Amino acid sequence: MSYSSTVQELIDSLGRLPGIGPKSAQRVAFHLLKAPPEEALRLSRAIVDAKERVSFCARCFNLSEGGDECAICRDPRREERIVCVVEDSQDIVAIERTQEFRGRYHVLQGAFSPIDGVGVEQLRVKELMTRVGEEDIEEVIVATNPNLEGEATASLLVKYLKPMGVRVTRIASGLPVGGDLEYADELTLGRALEGRQVLDAGTPADG
Amino acid sequence: MLIRTLELQNFRSYEEASVSLSDGLTAIVGENGQGKTNLLEAISWIAGMGSFRGVPDDALIRLGADAAILRATVESPDGREQLIEAELPRIGRNRIQVNRQRLSRARDLVGVVQVTVFSPDDLELVKDGPALRRRWIDEAVVSRHPKHDALRSDLERILKQRNALLRSAHGRLDGDAAFTLDVWDSKLAAAGNAMRAAREDLLAEMAPRLAAAYDAVARESAEVETIYEASWHGDLAEALAGSRQLDVRRGVSTVGPHRDEIVLRIGGAPARTHASQGEQRSLALSLRLAADAVVRQAGVAEPVLLLDDVFSELDPGRAEALLDALPGGQRLLTTAAWLPPAATPDQVLKITAGTIVAASG
Ligand SMILES: Nc1ncnc2c1ncn2[C@@H]1O[C@H](COP(=O)(O)OP(=O)(O)O)[C@@H](O)[C@H]1O
Ligand SMILES: [Mg+2]
Ligand SMILES: [Zn+2]
Repeated sequence: MSYSSTVQELIDSLGRLPGIGPKSAQRVAFHLLKAPPEEALRLSRAIVDAKERVSFCARCFNLSEGGDECAICRDPRREERIVCVVEDSQDIVAIERTQEFRGRYHVLQGAFSPIDGVGVEQLRVKELMTRVGEEDIEEVIVATNPNLEGEATASLLVKYLKPMGVRVTRIASGLPVGGDLEYADELTLGRALEGRQVLDAGTPADG
Repeated sequence: MLIRTLELQNFRSYEEASVSLSDGLTAIVGENGQGKTNLLEAISWIAGMGSFRGVPDDALIRLGADAAILRATVESPDGREQLIEAELPRIGRNRIQVNRQRLSRARDLVGVVQVTVFSPDDLELVKDGPALRRRWIDEAVVSRHPKHDALRSDLERILKQRNALLRSAHGRLDGDAAFTLDVWDSKLAAAGNAMRAAREDLLAEMAPRLAAAYDAVARESAEVETIYEASWHGDLAEALAGSRQLDVRRGVSTVGPHRDEIVLRIGGAPARTHASQGEQRSLALSLRLAADAVVRQAGVAEPVLLLDDVFSELDPGRAEALLDALPGGQRLLTTAAWLPPAATPDQVLKITAGTIVAASG
């Protein structure tokens, strides 16, 4: 049996979401079809609202609502001289929870991974270089994930940023290796920020 | 480490099976194609999270079923019992639980149970190309130093990343691409140098045990050597710089531990091309025995021995000799034909059509 084109379109759209395979897409589609109309409408409205109101910050590429720049970039109390570089906006949430960091951020929107077709052009690296050139930035803290791709991204950033005369540091190890920043607990992440170390272009980020 | 019980659901030919294992020698008997090897494969999966037959996990799920489930109770030397559970679904990720606690990183299961597998295919270790010998030594390195599991998987991933980058360069390396290649080169150099050193150290540590194992199994004394032939000299970082043009042109990494060879020699001659089939078989068994002995000697683990159909390939004399050369502890062997007369199993499991029909001993 095959589904009607309306149902198939729903399944296909769900199946294109990250982390959702064909089986899960079917399950979610049937859940929505069986649910009361309000539930499906609430979801569709939430998606449309988010798409309309939320955009990426023109400066740091964090999520931003109600303006070109995100709330952190607009906050005059945040230090301009320190920028913390992360892979995704979720990582900002994790770091903010530690309350250890009062500077600003830069979101790369991914990590360096040739297998996934992600190179320098796919990441917001050139934009970071522009910021380092134009803003009053003294230190760039690289807080990419403590896995292979995160470390490679860190090495790559050092290569680009060191010649610009900015101090580049890496959050200290102590985070679970191979892990995800997003899931690190506040205490560990706070200590990792505090114990950050200067990176040299010559040495790989993982020693 | 002892495996006390094993329970399978929808694993290979087993719909449901459950068995208690003796802590000595267990003989698994039955006609061909009944599920003897499948049983050993289940145990080896728990140890290494993969089939020793080198097939993807999907092949392990019983035809028509959505997921296979493996459950084992194991006992560590200090008497502590652990319940290991693995669910291998056809779709989605494997779920691993130890004592009902889900492991956040599934790979942490590796090393909880250690096994040494002997199979008739081991002959290819001696006769085939270098890839199998690299796999053998890397598995031995990880058994000897469980922390190197991360090194091995990093190395694999770095090579995939570097090769993907080389392919995407389409034979030409412009400024940015050269920069990014530098990054993977430094990762590959660090991991590659470390893996080569670990392999060479282990071969040196193994040498006396390999010699002793060969003498015992072959029942004659011959000089057995392993010679590590690296694909580069000195520091891998420099070798990678030197091969960069070539790598970019070909779109693959032409130097590194994934291109190294381990030459095996018996009496000064390369075993691959000069040794008799019998000598090759003895050497293959000795390679497994030597890796096992090193792990035991270092006190890392007492691997469970899994011997799949190895006696049928040996003449009675060599079979006896192998049986004598085996360390004690928990041993499971399968056979469709005969057992060496000297073998006195503590337990016999008879397998028919994916069910364990009789147990004795
Ligand atoms: N995924 C699977 N689903 C169902 N049966 C399987 C599966 N994989 C293998 N088998 C069956 O298992 C049997 C082989 O079992 P095996 O343990 O290799 O036999 P042997 O007793 O000779 O060692 C074959 O009958 C094969 O069809
Ligand atoms: Mg078999
Ligand atoms: Zn911003």
